[in-house]
Amino acid sequence: MIPLSHFLIIGACLFSIGLYAVLTKKNAIQVLIGIEFMINAAILNFVAFGKYDKINGGGQMFALFAIVLAAAGVAVALAIILNVYKHFKTIDPSKIDNLRN
Amino acid sequence: MAGLEFSGFAALLSIVLILLPLLSFIIIIFGKKGGGGNLALANISIAFILSIYLVSLIWNKAPVHYQLNWFLIGEIQFTAGVLLNNLSLLMISLVSGISVLVHIYSRSYMKNDPNIHRYWAYLGLFCFSMLALSISDNLLLIYLFWELVGFSSFLLIGFWFTKHEASQAAKKAFVMNRIGDIGFLLGIMIIFSQFHTLDISILFGEDGLFNASVIKDNLWIFGTQQISEIWLTIAGIGFFMGAMAKSAQFPLHTWLPDAMEGPTSVSSLIHAATMVAAGVFLIARVYPVFDPFVLNMMVFIGAITAFMAATIALTQNNIKRILAYSTISQLGFMVMAMGIGAYSQSIFHLTTHAFFKCLLFLAAGSIIHQLHHYRDKIGLDFDYQDIRMMGGLRKSMPLTFWAMCLASAALIGLPFTSAYLSKDAIIVSAFEWAENRNALSQILPYLMVLTSWLTVFYISRLLFKVFFVKSNLLSLEQVQEIKDPSKKMTYVLVVLAFFCLFLVFSVNPFSSENSWIMNVFPSFNIQKNELFHSIIPIILTFGTLVLIVLSYSLYVKRDNFNGFGKGIFYRFSKREWYLNELYSLVFIANVEKLSKISYWFDQKVIDALVLKSAFLVRLLSLISSWIDKNLIDGLVNATGSLAKLIGRLAKKTQSGKLQQYLTTMLLLLISFFILTYFL
Repeated sequence: MIPLSHFLIIGACLFSIGLYAVLTKKNAIQVLIGIEFMINAAILNFVAFGKYDKINGGGQMFALFAIVLAAAGVAVALAIILNVYKHFKTIDPSKIDNLRN
Repeated sequence: MAGLEFSGFAALLSIVLILLPLLSFIIIIFGKKGGGGNLALANISIAFILSIYLVSLIWNKAPVHYQLNWFLIGEIQFTAGVLLNNLSLLMISLVSGISVLVHIYSRSYMKNDPNIHRYWAYLGLFCFSMLALSISDNLLLIYLFWELVGFSSFLLIGFWFTKHEASQAAKKAFVMNRIGDIGFLLGIMIIFSQFHTLDISILFGEDGLFNASVIKDNLWIFGTQQISEIWLTIAGIGFFMGAMAKSAQFPLHTWLPDAMEGPTSVSSLIHAATMVAAGVFLIARVYPVFDPFVLNMMVFIGAITAFMAATIALTQNNIKRILAYSTISQLGFMVMAMGIGAYSQSIFHLTTHAFFKCLLFLAAGSIIHQLHHYRDKIGLDFDYQDIRMMGGLRKSMPLTFWAMCLASAALIGLPFTSAYLSKDAIIVSAFEWAENRNALSQILPYLMVLTSWLTVFYISRLLFKVFFVKSNLLSLEQVQEIKDPSKKMTYVLVVLAFFCLFLVFSVNPFSSENSWIMNVFPSFNIQKNELFHSIIPIILTFGTLVLIVLSYSLYVKRDNFNGFGKGIFYRFSKREWYLNELYSLVFIANVEKLSKISYWFDQKVIDALVLKSAFLVRLLSLISSWIDKNLIDGLVNATGSLAKLIGRLAKKTQSGKLQQYLTTMLLLLISFFILTYFL
């Protein structure tokens, strides 16, 4: 039986890696990947804490919803990135500093 | 009602009369250069005709007095109006009549002057103010026009102001007249404080306020008002001072000889016939003011003036200066006559003098004019007003010669001339006045007789030197080239010469009593003495004839007679009694000293104070500028740069970079957690 703390450590590591990617990457796709990391860290935590709710399986259920939502979010985000690229001819978030137009 | 309408009509006429010359002044002064002669002559002629018409309406009838409200001070209503009685009518017809003649004369005399428009304008201003002075009914108005007369005289004396002497003479005349004006103003103020009115007819009329006031216990009482008697005397002296300055009485006479720097036609109109008579006119207007003390003063000042001027005229060489002193002398006669109460004789002499002195000046002007032109023609340099340079002009200028002879005869009072009537009347009155008085007064009539004989001498000297003896400068042929001036000028002389005859003033050539001027003016406190009336004119005429013969033998028979050596009397007379020197010693030197002291004071004290305070102010401003620059500006700048700093710092967070925002948010969140959970 793998103890809960291992899951939590893995989740924290994933979250930190994702956060690092979001804050530092010069590529919007990599930032998106970082976000996915962070979502997955959260999902991992849902699943790990799901062992305390074996009857309803609330953790698993929430994880499934979160995966679906994340997938939808990524799809939207990719669409936005494409439009951004069309407009700015770059996907470096540090160069996109203008909300106008 | 009819009477009121009549007086309104007469007043309107007189106002039109005085406004005509003012109109020509205004039009000509703004008009084009060099013109205006026709307008001036036309206006003054109309004024003259109006004045004659007014004389025919009012002469020797009830005086016309018409007035309007002028202004209000407190509860005292000032009025302005015209008072046409015999005196003012005589004055306006005299002034306008002589003005017309002088205007005609000036057209030729001043012909080629480039600034002649100014001349006409000033003459217009003078005529306006003199005529207005004559008809004003109010002391304040009289004072106003009195000043205006003085001002126009100033302008005309200084007409050739580029000449140094002329501008100096104009200034001198102005300053001398100011001294008299102070007295006049003082008199007006005293009268006003006593009676609260300045209306002449209310003050000095038959039943005027003046007769209602009494003198009791050294107090001058009018109604409830009482002031010390001395004020009456001071008022009298004040008015007399005004008259003294204007009529060139000793010791304020020194401006008149210098005033001869003006054009001769001006001297003839203003400084011989009309303006200088204004002083006598003023005395006549306010006659009741003078108490016995002032009247005596008048007598002595008049007599001294007459005598002094006659002695000075003996030795002068400038033809105009001789005539100026003669004018002063004759004015002395008039003032003295006023003092002894010979009011009508004085006015009479004023009238006759106006004509013969005007004629003398205009004749002298003709000589000067012709000599000036001759000098320019031959290109010789000599003083064309010096009688030593003239001579032998009898043949070459016969008309001028005869006119001058007639005027001189009038001046010295030969029988059948006008002044025989008036001057002898004055001297006879002087004898009558002195009869019952003290020894000093007894001398007076003899002094007047002596003066009268001196007059004979100086005028015959002038005549003989100008017309008889050989010229010191010009040869006989040269003298013959000089001719009488143009007809326009000589006609004026002829007209004036006619007025020097007795017939104009009286039918009887030997008695002044029936003359029309004497009959309409009153005479005061003189007892008649028939003996004097018959003897004195005979003695005077006899002496006159002797003196003429004497001076003829001195100046004409003997070739090189040059006056009476160079003795002390000669120098005294030649230097005009050293009065100018005395004044410059006593007054001018002291005034200069005073001005030097005040200049020093100004330089050393006032200027130093100003400089010190300026320095102080500069210091203060330096300090405040430093404070302003460093403290106030520093504060403002510090605020500004602080805001700038904050802005610069805050700007960095607003970079628009998404990841930076996120980092910030994260850091803030972490700090929040650390603060919440660990501190």
